[in-house]
Amino acid sequence: MKVAVIQFPGTNCEHETLVAARSAGLAGEIFRWNRPAEELTEFDGYIIPGGFSYQDRLRAGAIASKEPVMDALREEAERGKPIIGICNGFQILTESGLLPGLGGVDVALASNVMVSKGEIVRRGFYCAWTTLRCETPARRCSGSFILDKGDLVSMPLAHAEGNLVTADEDLMERLNEEDQIVFRYCDEGGNVEREFPVNVNGSRENIAGICNPEGNVLGLMPHPERSSFAWQLPPTDSAKSAGDMTAPGPGRRIFESMKRYIEVMR
Amino acid sequence: MKINLRVSLKIPDAEAATVKNTLRRRMGYGAVLAELGKERLWSIDVDDSVADPADLARRLARELVNENKESYKATVDSIDFEDGYVPVKVGLRIEDAEAISAQNRLRNRLGFDMVRSVERSSIWKLSLRAEEPERTAEEIAEGLLINPHKDYYEIMR
Repeated sequence: MKVAVIQFPGTNCEHETLVAARSAGLAGEIFRWNRPAEELTEFDGYIIPGGFSYQDRLRAGAIASKEPVMDALREEAERGKPIIGICNGFQILTESGLLPGLGGVDVALASNVMVSKGEIVRRGFYCAWTTLRCETPARRCSGSFILDKGDLVSMPLAHAEGNLVTADEDLMERLNEEDQIVFRYCDEGGNVEREFPVNVNGSRENIAGICNPEGNVLGLMPHPERSSFAWQLPPTDSAKSAGDMTAPGPGRRIFESMKRYIEVMR
Repeated sequence: MKINLRVSLKIPDAEAATVKNTLRRRMGYGAVLAELGKERLWSIDVDDSVADPADLARRLARELVNENKESYKATVDSIDFEDGYVPVKVGLRIEDAEAISAQNRLRNRLGFDMVRSVERSSIWKLSLRAEEPERTAEEIAEGLLINPHKDYYEIMR
């Protein structure tokens, strides 16, 4: 099983994302955006990692979404192959319309607005460890294939524009009904508190990750590749204090999900 | 009254160049889009009692414009764009944190008590070889310049 980690100009998480994917048993390579797009067909899955593609010019993800490689990825998605977009990868997938995948650009990932007790207490870039609650049953989505509804996964985030907004008032109901909301920000006990610091960026309904209707394309703002090994975890985490620094971290389950999805869908 | 500061870069504008390249090379506007420029627009609503708006505009520009790399044009109430391009204004339809921050800075820290509100937007200047340039500008705005879930646009003619 071989995955392509897509590298645009300004991507900066491609190496650690590939290391994390390999730790889950996936083979893979970094795929530069200007390689012949047809070469993508030889891969079983795709990851668009984090960073600042095209320096976030115009708005995050907008320029990369117009590259030919995204047309090729759209074709691979239509064949059912898995795609996971992380942070800037999520922004690119929303700008390209692959997420939520309803036919157009249906959401925006806007600047963070942190609200506490009804007041804005902070805006813009934020970096923190977060806990995500899986909102969908196992096998619903390629990136949460081995996770069950209610499972908690912790990983860090670092972004300025992850606040999911939409002008379509019916969209949230549809995403909920179709099980397209895959991850929500929650506290360590799994409670989805609507305000900061649990809702880290003001995202509608605490959304941290969504998938397309078919479930093979997932986008999430936090970084699973940054919690794929025990050595990456906070000092207070029990997995780290156990001593084996190379032991799996919780974020690896996203990549293990992708691997299992590919095995099952082949 | 409204003071408008149209701010443009003296140094090369990498963002404008990237947008131009994307439109020409990736979105099929190679034969249509002759040139593209960008300005930042600060629209500052101030008390009507201000006696010398031109002087106030100069003082506001000192805070909002970095003249080492930017130049500006100030107008009061109306904005007159030059011929030869379609001006497309793009702004946020959701809360603009940078505009709020600028307003608070001007009023609360720098003593501009006459400032009522601050709006920030971008003006994309599209030189187009098209039969209906305004219609083409709308297509470009909707196809690239905005995400309709957080931005709005307005053709400024």
